[in-house]
Amino acid sequence: MNINRGTASSPRPGTEGTIVAQGLTKVFHTTARRTGRLSAVSSLIRPQRVAKAAVSDVSFRIDPGELVAFLGPNGAGKSTTIKMLTGILTPSSGRVEVNGLVPHRERIANARRVGAVFGQRSQLWWDLPARDSLGVLADIHGVPPQRFREQVAAFDRILELSAFWDTRARQLSLGQRVRCDLAAALIHDPAVLYLDEPTIGMDVVVKEQVREFLRDQVEQRGRTVVLTTHDMTEVERLAERVILINGGRIVYDGNLDTLRRTHAGAVNGTADLEEIMRHAFGDRAQLEAVQFGAGETGAAQLAAARLAAARLGNGVRS
Amino acid sequence: MTSATLDPAGYGARPRDSRQSGRAWRAARVTVLSEFYERGRVASTLFMLSTRAALTYWLWHALYASTTSSAGLNVRQATTYAMLGVFYIAFRTVNRWAARDTMVQLMLEGTIAYWFLRPVSPRRYYAIRASGDLAYGTGWAVLAYCVCLAGGLVEPPVSTRAGLATLASLALGLVILYYLKLLIDLACFWTTVNFQLMIMYEIVQNVLAGALVPLWFFPAWFTSFDRLLPFQGTLNVPLSLYIGRTPVSQLGGDLAVQAIWIVVLALLSTLVWRRAAERVTVLGG
Amino acid sequence: MFDGRLTVFEQWALYYRINRLNLKAQAAYRGEFVLGLLFGLVWQGSMVLFAGVLLLRFPGLGGWKQGDVLLIASMRLVSHSFYVALFSNIARLSMYVQEGRMDGYLLRPMPVYRQVLLSQFQVNSFGDLLAGAGIFVFAVFRLHIAWTPLIVLYIAAGILGGMMIEAGVQTLLAIAALRFTGTFTWTSWIDQMISTFGNYPLNVLPSPVKDALTFAFPVAFIAYLPAAVVTGHTASAGIPLLLTVASPAIGIAFFLMAKAAWYRSLSLYESVGG
Repeated sequence: MNINRGTASSPRPGTEGTIVAQGLTKVFHTTARRTGRLSAVSSLIRPQRVAKAAVSDVSFRIDPGELVAFLGPNGAGKSTTIKMLTGILTPSSGRVEVNGLVPHRERIANARRVGAVFGQRSQLWWDLPARDSLGVLADIHGVPPQRFREQVAAFDRILELSAFWDTRARQLSLGQRVRCDLAAALIHDPAVLYLDEPTIGMDVVVKEQVREFLRDQVEQRGRTVVLTTHDMTEVERLAERVILINGGRIVYDGNLDTLRRTHAGAVNGTADLEEIMRHAFGDRAQLEAVQFGAGETGAAQLAAARLAAARLGNGVRS
Repeated sequence: MTSATLDPAGYGARPRDSRQSGRAWRAARVTVLSEFYERGRVASTLFMLSTRAALTYWLWHALYASTTSSAGLNVRQATTYAMLGVFYIAFRTVNRWAARDTMVQLMLEGTIAYWFLRPVSPRRYYAIRASGDLAYGTGWAVLAYCVCLAGGLVEPPVSTRAGLATLASLALGLVILYYLKLLIDLACFWTTVNFQLMIMYEIVQNVLAGALVPLWFFPAWFTSFDRLLPFQGTLNVPLSLYIGRTPVSQLGGDLAVQAIWIVVLALLSTLVWRRAAERVTVLGG
Repeated sequence: MFDGRLTVFEQWALYYRINRLNLKAQAAYRGEFVLGLLFGLVWQGSMVLFAGVLLLRFPGLGGWKQGDVLLIASMRLVSHSFYVALFSNIARLSMYVQEGRMDGYLLRPMPVYRQVLLSQFQVNSFGDLLAGAGIFVFAVFRLHIAWTPLIVLYIAAGILGGMMIEAGVQTLLAIAALRFTGTFTWTSWIDQMISTFGNYPLNVLPSPVKDALTFAFPVAFIAYLPAAVVTGHTASAGIPLLLTVASPAIGIAFFLMAKAAWYRSLSLYESVGG
């Protein structure tokens, strides 16, 4: 990945807001934990490396102004796909083009045209009032002050940010913080917006507010929006097109209504999307998704987080 | 497509497309803002620093109670060195723990991903934030220094030339500090957590730079070995010039050693940054 | 209802299991684990270096012989290593509050304080103990005192008391962490103050400062005063003899007071997040 400047290139005209993926594959190498006697010691000395394909051979095309929902159980590969689209992850193989640019190669140019919100991971600075964070991000993106003020005023109209944007991020409620994060992702007016589980854990009122905002962004501003979610109501309210992913592969890509009609017969004539999902992925997968819908936190990351909690205090001596 | 309302290339700035934002340096203000929004933190910093400085002052005067010179330093030289060492420990870095803004916290929470989604390279963003930290720390250090100088707790530099020499070697020393901290932080890309590495580094840095005990009190074998390392260039070299323990004529040699370390560390960090970006894959999941 | 009360044996078996699992989890981060083992040694080593270098350069500090001062430093180090092994997780409380782990502790049928202490295995403590024991042996050979069982017992009690003082101070700070963010800078400040100024005969400092380090922030009771009793420097301490001799008991009393305050203050806890 090019961490400095993207190679100087402008996108081909007419590609803004377009996302193309072809044969996208991502293989992860992880260290396997052994079990049994002295396992900790032997893992310490000679760790076992394991390769696992999180996404294999995924292809699709998303046109400007489309809102597409990625659905699938935990660990299906949704987040990995999104991360490849954003350029954070470099695909092991396959081709990806967003706004006519290859995201992981033309990083800086790409960053000017996309925005992202990764679930509960906030890009706001913890100790700063939300509005200050937005200001810093505007500087990072080189948004002129006048434009910044207009943008923020526009976001405020639907998201009602002004009620709490002088509060520091650490004191915001989840719903307030994610609304600020949405504004943060759009401060530079990108053509494409990625949302990884944006409404997870929010109450109904805030969810509806966020949906209204997203609809407005797609219909009025013509942004392309890609989102992953476990919330079926959200899908029904927002997306016309869904892409179902399971086991790192696309199992369905198309119109939501068509999906409903195809599976309706199999699940006793119901048009309920949750029933359909259960049918498509099996009971266990969907149940898991509903109960623990906490994003695609891998086991390794969870372990890391747990260890972090335990170890954090060590930093206090410094 | 209703792209009439969109200007995704960035406000008509197409020629500057893949260039980084010129206003990005303003992100340096995050540190200062964070600290000042937490007034309690500033107050406790003040309290902790003044108690520590005062105790250091008394301790060194007590040590010299029955002697006038030790290791070639008199009581005023030793106290000045030790006090400035306290400021060095306090303001060398800004502690970003409470602000959840250390590299390791960003790694564990996954928010580091956003660094790679901005039109400023992570490398430059890191440098911008570090300079904000430095400016903030320097502000405090200068304030503390002036107060102590006015109160006669520390001595002024032995001569104007020594003062200028101190500033020159201090400037290079700060660059060395920046690179060392950067390398420790970048280790996170491989180890995810670097708590132990971080605190280990802090201790080693403080000891080998002379912040804990002025290096002149150490045995000769220790200092001659330490001379080859980058750490002492960040504190001992400028301070020794300041208190007149090393003559200004020695400045050239000291600066040369510092410059060599800067080149080595800069090359190393360039290499590590490149590898680190490739390692971002581990963030996926 | 399920009565999950445990026998004493079951409790200890549980502590053992928790510690073993903690150790295993930490071993997953190899570099960190190895550094953790080394850390105590390096940290305490640097503190010993600090004290050692100054002792060599400035003999006869405050009327104390070198061996006598070494006794202060080594008693502090050993008591500190026991503190690290048994109590230092309490200093992490501000982190646990920030992470929301505290909520979990409040829901489980085990005293919160004990859960915090069991939250992590202290890899560091090995190195701490090693450094402490090493310098202790070194000091013992340089001490010229009559060794009686009473003296040995008193030193042991002094080490215990020193550990209790440190645990007590950090426990009081943990109470503040229940309510306020950012207390960990204080944790590190306390750590530094104790490791820097706990190694000397405090009578070298101006008298008000010494009194502050005795009564306001009880560093003196950790090692200085017990060592003064052992080496016969009680007169120069300038503190009532009874108080000086009783310092191990004061340590224990101080901890018990801090612990009582902890349980009274749990209701102060404000969970994070909205």
